[in-house]
Amino acid sequence: MKSAYKVMAYIVAALVIVQSASMVFASAGLGIYIEDGGVLDAAAMESEDLSFTGVAGFIVHGINGMIVIPLLALALLIVSFFARTPGAVRNAAIILGLVVLQVALGLFGHENAYIGLLHGVNALVLFAAALHTGRSAGKAEVTTREDRAPAAV
Amino acid sequence: MSRSRLRVLVACLAALAIVVPLAWMWQSSLLPSSYSVMDMGVVDLGGGPAPVEGHAGHGGQAAAGARVAPTETSVDDLVADAEGPPDVSEELVAAHGTITLESGRKVTGYSLNGTSPGPLIEATEGDLVEVTVRNESVPDGMTLHWHGIDVPNSVDGVAGVTQDAVKVGEEHTYRFVAEDPGTYWYHSHQVSHEQVIGGLFGSLVVHPADARPDAPVDALAVAHTYSGTRTLNGEEGDVAFVAEPGTEVRVRVANTDNGPVEVWSGAPYVVRAVDGFDLNEPTPVTGRSVTLTAGARVDLEVTAPEDGSALRVQVGGATALIIGPAGSKAAEVEQPREKLDLLHYGSPAPLPFETSDPDRVFDYDIGRRPGFLDGRPGLWWTVNGRMYPEVPMYIVREGDVVLMRVHNASNEDHPMHLHGHHAVVLSRDGEKATGSPWWVDSLHVDQDETYEIAFVADNPGLWMDHCHQLKHAAEGLMAHLMYDGVDTPYLIGGAADNHPE
Repeated sequence: MKSAYKVMAYIVAALVIVQSASMVFASAGLGIYIEDGGVLDAAAMESEDLSFTGVAGFIVHGINGMIVIPLLALALLIVSFFARTPGAVRNAAIILGLVVLQVALGLFGHENAYIGLLHGVNALVLFAAALHTGRSAGKAEVTTREDRAPAAV
Repeated sequence: MSRSRLRVLVACLAALAIVVPLAWMWQSSLLPSSYSVMDMGVVDLGGGPAPVEGHAGHGGQAAAGARVAPTETSVDDLVADAEGPPDVSEELVAAHGTITLESGRKVTGYSLNGTSPGPLIEATEGDLVEVTVRNESVPDGMTLHWHGIDVPNSVDGVAGVTQDAVKVGEEHTYRFVAEDPGTYWYHSHQVSHEQVIGGLFGSLVVHPADARPDAPVDALAVAHTYSGTRTLNGEEGDVAFVAEPGTEVRVRVANTDNGPVEVWSGAPYVVRAVDGFDLNEPTPVTGRSVTLTAGARVDLEVTAPEDGSALRVQVGGATALIIGPAGSKAAEVEQPREKLDLLHYGSPAPLPFETSDPDRVFDYDIGRRPGFLDGRPGLWWTVNGRMYPEVPMYIVREGDVVLMRVHNASNEDHPMHLHGHHAVVLSRDGEKATGSPWWVDSLHVDQDETYEIAFVADNPGLWMDHCHQLKHAAEGLMAHLMYDGVDTPYLIGGAADNHPE
């Protein structure tokens, strides 16, 4: 369970990287699309049928951010109960809290662009928290192994 | 019990405390493969009287088997009050496959009589219209809904509510009297979130019976996005409409997309009508765009320039109608920053009914929360705090004056479309409407806005009241307006595999 916990925490961190990469991929693609004479307005956005390089970034960002990461964070919390690592539950709860906050900031960013700034900042906080959780679980794992190792004769 | 066992036990209990409620929520969100709209949702009487005793269905108490109790009116019986041969008769063939747009571009989608948009249907006020549609190759089945026309309920074209989806090889006939002149459109209401954006639609214009001989010339501008390509009447970019200098033109703009478009012009324009209803004493507009929400129509009156140049009526950023002599050019026009506020446009006029003491007051409060929709996790729409299928059934009786408060707290815009009725806008965020009576069937409700609208329940039946961002409707942003004593024999799902959204 300890390694599952560690791996899942690292996956959360990796998925946050996917989130930032997909968003920049999409906005870069959108910029190029508009430079080339493409038009983006509400009707085009709602059609969700735009065809430019990078458009997949929006879709990945949405599904990953609103479904995959929240489910993974929830699973991490469940696994943390069994991880027997100091601070495991607390760290997993922090990650879940940051994920909920992140989704909320993402949605409210649709009506206020400044909230988007916080969404970007919180992404890094979440990334750091997930990385820290993975690393501290890794350290705990090593410590436990050392504890269990037969004493030198 | 040892310390480590206790730990495992506590961990298991904690895990169950999370997993069990989630599993229960997931399980209870699963929809049956077939159900009646009469059995779903939350009864909302809006302060009016409860349905008569023994009314099957409402409240989810209906017994299986015979769907329509003998005391009830079936939607099938709510037909046009007109006998004899139709004044306008149209035969349509619906197909799926590769369609060639007016612009020459080929896309995969749906067509009517080989084209998309389908044929323009024209009628004169009072005409009996009869349209027979045959499904040649639409795999999921299809229907036709007459968007904005207050048709009798039996021909509203909603699969699973007013009819079964028309399967491949089958046909279905719609008959109604075109009572109100104006700009309308028709589209499939079976798997509509795929079929409408895929092209299964056309426009319908009802001309006034007493048209002046010097009435403006009609021009059509039907906006649609095919596989990401923006079009106007199936053409791309600048679309020419030939008119001699000085000609007055009534541009009938329809938005058949899922999102709002802004419409503006290089010269002053007058908004003659919204959603098929003429405005009272509209004045020329300059430096403002008019917002056309998904499903809505607006009739703009413009004049072709006297100097022989062309006038640009821009519909969204990508397409425009260019009105002028053949080959004439129109300068680009920057999108105005200001928008026309229809709440204060034109002159007030008396309403045909009293709104100060409504018989029913309903809330249509749109929100969003995490949960399961038919087993799928995600962030889903809520109406009055509950997710589909726990959406309101707004119960009315014929003749009721209904006041509805539509509030949007969901972080996205919603074009709200009520079937079978036109509602008049009374206020927005508490600010009273002071302009022309503003009648809508498709209302743009922006984030955090609250509209008060009113209508008379004068068209018995079972009517959808849903978001016309059709993907949102498919995600559960819909409710029903239900007349006491009306029932339906049709089922969502069922043998015909009806899926109206």
